[in-house]
Amino acid sequence: MNFELSEEQQMLKDSARGFLEKECTESVVRESEDSDSGYSPELWKKAAELGWLGIAYPEKYGGSGMDILDMAILYEEMGRALFPSPHLSTVVLGGLTILDAGSEEQKNSILPRISKGEMLLSLAVTEPEAIWNGKGWLPEGVTMPVVAQGDDYILSGTKLFVHDAHSADYLIVAAATGKENKITLFLVEAHSPGITYTILRTSAGDKRQSEIIFDDVKVPGKNIIGRLHDGWAPLEKILKIGAVLLSAQLVGSAEKAMELAIDHAKTRIQFDMPIGIHNWVQEYCIMAFADVQGTRNLVYEAAWMLGKDIPCDLEVAMAKARANEACIDAHWQAHQVLAGIGFCTQDGLLPLHTKRGKVYQLYLGDTDHHMEKIAQQLEKWPDLEKPHGKPLGIFDVPEDLQEPNWDVWKNQIEVRGKLW
Amino acid sequence: MEFGFTEEQETLRKELYDFYARELPEDVTDVPAVSKELQDFWMDLQKKAGRKGYLTPGWSKETGGLGLGHMEAGVANEVEGYWGIRWPNGVGLQVCGPGLHLFGTEEQKKNFLPEISSGEKIWYECFTEPEAGTDEANQQTRAKKQGDKWIINGQKIYITGGYKPDLLLVEARTADTVPKHKGLTLFCFSAETPGVTVAALPCMGGYLANIFYFDDVMVGDEAVIGQINQGFYHVMETFEFERSNTYGAARARRDLHEMVQFCRETKKNGEPLIKNPEIRKALAKMAVDIEVLRLATWRTAWRFGERDRLGPLDFDLTGLFARLNGIAHSVVRLNILGVYGQLRRGSKYAKLSGDVERDWQYTRSMHYAGTLEAVKIVLAGRVLGLPRIPAKLNKTIMEALQEKK
Repeated sequence: MNFELSEEQQMLKDSARGFLEKECTESVVRESEDSDSGYSPELWKKAAELGWLGIAYPEKYGGSGMDILDMAILYEEMGRALFPSPHLSTVVLGGLTILDAGSEEQKNSILPRISKGEMLLSLAVTEPEAIWNGKGWLPEGVTMPVVAQGDDYILSGTKLFVHDAHSADYLIVAAATGKENKITLFLVEAHSPGITYTILRTSAGDKRQSEIIFDDVKVPGKNIIGRLHDGWAPLEKILKIGAVLLSAQLVGSAEKAMELAIDHAKTRIQFDMPIGIHNWVQEYCIMAFADVQGTRNLVYEAAWMLGKDIPCDLEVAMAKARANEACIDAHWQAHQVLAGIGFCTQDGLLPLHTKRGKVYQLYLGDTDHHMEKIAQQLEKWPDLEKPHGKPLGIFDVPEDLQEPNWDVWKNQIEVRGKLW
Repeated sequence: MEFGFTEEQETLRKELYDFYARELPEDVTDVPAVSKELQDFWMDLQKKAGRKGYLTPGWSKETGGLGLGHMEAGVANEVEGYWGIRWPNGVGLQVCGPGLHLFGTEEQKKNFLPEISSGEKIWYECFTEPEAGTDEANQQTRAKKQGDKWIINGQKIYITGGYKPDLLLVEARTADTVPKHKGLTLFCFSAETPGVTVAALPCMGGYLANIFYFDDVMVGDEAVIGQINQGFYHVMETFEFERSNTYGAARARRDLHEMVQFCRETKKNGEPLIKNPEIRKALAKMAVDIEVLRLATWRTAWRFGERDRLGPLDFDLTGLFARLNGIAHSVVRLNILGVYGQLRRGSKYAKLSGDVERDWQYTRSMHYAGTLEAVKIVLAGRVLGLPRIPAKLNKTIMEALQEKK
């Protein structure tokens, strides 16, 4: 057990903090909210120069080969700064899927271009019915039909809540290709004939999520990622990584909100004293602090395990479930402290954090989804050695001895008096 | 960062786990030591574990430990938590012993430490008083120097107990003219010193606390622990050891495991309890809370072990999470059992040996080593730097209130 960042990790954290504080200001965040692409191309270019876009890829694909834990540290900073970018969609959900399951040709043609900031990807999994049934991120929720036509495949159907789709160059689409929830991942050129995008109006207020309708979209057979019918394994893996990084982003965002609250509590004067002198205000700050610090450990643990390839279904689900609830709770606590100032949307960071936090919370598995995953893991716990419930022998305390037996040692020390 | 344990730590964990699995009877559970048989059983086990150095793996071999580090002590603590072991000398092992390490004289260390690590002796800490609860520095017990002797008079309350203690670690006022936290000193003396009397204070869940009275208890200079008038600071420092206590999360994890197994095996309306959506969610929520506590404790333990390099502990959330979890989980577990939840150990229909009911009673108290509010006050002031009402102003307010009366 060691909770200290390595020198490199500390450097990454510090440089990310410095860069984002300088470049990713509140006005940049607000401008990208209004822009049609939903992100800032200039910042994206600078991120490429910093090596953030190839961070997780091997050097031969133009990357720097860092692991999931390093990325979690970066994501925390990106969440803190509300970095408006398709990083998760492109670099992680898209790029890492290709790195994991794609052909050498796919890797060579895509990963270096992602690293240079020349290509954007988007992952399309969830469908309207399945989301409503709570199966959005499960293989049985992928029902989009596929028809084979010679060497090609024809996709038809609707994908919903797809992030960063309309600005992407390629979509990775999960579709049902066989019985028993067999799914396949297709690399689809984003501007293929038959694809229409409709931007969703969400609480974040930006243009990042879409509905995609596929109307007989033709995909060449060589664009299958991995093998036919074998899409779930790489998809499941990448969804875990994405959920943990999204959790890190939530932690960063919640920490910023907490700092806004503490700062306000110290400086806002009412009744001739800082409001932070009141216990109720302190309570909000403390609980936000506990939300952030408690969740961070869980996120780092899950990221560490993912990076080391240790089985961690339970830990990942715990990290996202806790981040979903605690970080949103920290936003809420901050609203209680900031009151009116936190409610105005014209300026101030808190409303931006709150609204984006909601989006992060609902993406890649909401709380119910991950709580169910946790419960499934608990069901698999082995039976206990020496379980309770067999009252025998000396531990079977008779009813009349439920109260302490004072006689045991009253003769050994002078007893002042019994209280019963 | 590293979230795993070293091979040596895992070996130690296995060794301890197997030892206790062998030694503990089939129905082991955290029952208060209310009968002679139970007291003898725990004392015997304490001595057995002590002889192997298992009670104090972090202490040097000369003092009866295994010469391992702070983290290894945490691992041992986790195993004890898993098996629900409450050592008769828990206080001595967790507070008094580490305290003696820090500011005992060489002679005191030589005299007392081996007796603690071997499990032979039981120590009680006598800090809390009727007027000195959260306000720890407000001690009224006095120690006056007469010749070369100290005469101690006063009363201590809520002293964790249930066994016959051998030694008492007592905080008493030795100076009146200085600010109240600068006039306290620690004393250690036999519980059988003339003038020591005791009364019982039964608590919820069948636990036993004590009231100690000191009437002209006479002790020599050798009884002074640490520096004179520095007692308050010594106490605060020893409490730091208690904070990196990995016991709680391991214990809670075991309790959850019991509950999961129960919910798998027990059917309601023809379906296992664990298939009920609400119960699934409740169990999952507890699992998350426990993991949060576990990692927070390990962070504190690690950070505390590195304090020479990184400076004093920056923050500690163990107390907060432990209290919040304890309060919430006992109710959730009891609710899962429904009407059966009220049945105590020994009742014919009691589920899980009545442990859940006992825990529920016991967790009505979450105040040991500071109430939930005290924990929050420390976090708000020392960690987050939020403003607090100055002591002078407090005094003025009190005076104004009294005048109004």
